[in-house]
Amino acid sequence: MTTHEIDPVQRLRIMAAGVRGARIAEEVLPAPFEEVWAVMADLEGEFGRFQPDMRRVRVLRVAGDRVEALARSKYGFRAHLRGFVRPGWCWLQSRFLVIGMAAAPVPGPGGGTRVALTGGVRVRVPARAPAVVPYGTASELSRAMTRLAERVGDRRTGPAA
Amino acid sequence: MTDDRRDRGVALARAARAGNTLALHQLLDHLTPYIARICTPIALADGPDATQETLLAVFRSLRSLKDPQALYGWVRAIAVREAVRIAQRAARAHPAELADVPERGDPQLAADIDDVLARLSPAHRAVLVLRDVEGLDEEAAAALLGVPAGTAKSRLHRARMSFRKAWSS
Repeated sequence: MTTHEIDPVQRLRIMAAGVRGARIAEEVLPAPFEEVWAVMADLEGEFGRFQPDMRRVRVLRVAGDRVEALARSKYGFRAHLRGFVRPGWCWLQSRFLVIGMAAAPVPGPGGGTRVALTGGVRVRVPARAPAVVPYGTASELSRAMTRLAERVGDRRTGPAA
Repeated sequence: MTDDRRDRGVALARAARAGNTLALHQLLDHLTPYIARICTPIALADGPDATQETLLAVFRSLRSLKDPQALYGWVRAIAVREAVRIAQRAARAHPAELADVPERGDPQLAADIDDVLARLSPAHRAVLVLRDVEGLDEEAAAALLGVPAGTAKSRLHRARMSFRKAWSS
């Protein structure tokens, strides 16, 4: 890592600092980075299983680190997401949504992967800064984190009986 | 920095303030190397920490930036402040009079130019960075650091002399 590169989780904290109302759910999952990121970055599969409101995502285009996808929520809403996907990093935005995800290996013998999630419903007011609705966001992120931990666990050991 | 790059940063800041988080994302990519270039020579080993703290401060208060055209001067001031603060907090800085820098022929002097840098206080290093990397005159550098212009000027002169000695040894 050069001095110009920032740990993805730290990067997510910086991005969230620039979005009014943004909350962050952060946790260390007891699995290697490669396994955790394989779940998080699987936009057309696992992503829809751990993000509470997502039902289906279809990736339309990938060019370098740029990605464009069509998402449908379980309530039927559609979102045209555009953004960036890099190792350990995903930032997507639609007209009404912001989704940010980051993962980084935890150094040291205990290992594991530090994961952070942020995002929410965009507020479109002339606020001189990006903003999301602050209410309920923390509990949604917490639910997503719980589901993500379950999905990672299931892939490691098989689903619980 | 080229005018194109400067214009791009200003345009990204403007779009980010209008609510576009993808522009905010690109602004983060755009500003990180600029901030690291200021923080690293001041905070030395703590350069990455100083860079992160600067980015957090910049993003947290982006909405308070009244004129996006002033982006770089505003970011530069935050970067210097954070780099000096982090370097002092880490207690890695041992402010020493430049007279303490070893004489020519001293084996310690021959070791590395970094040694000379490390012997300067963070504020002295900040003067060097602002003047020689950022191209500010002594008065502007001193104002940004909150020290008298004469002090900044004499410290800069002595720091340069030390570097000259170090390089020619």
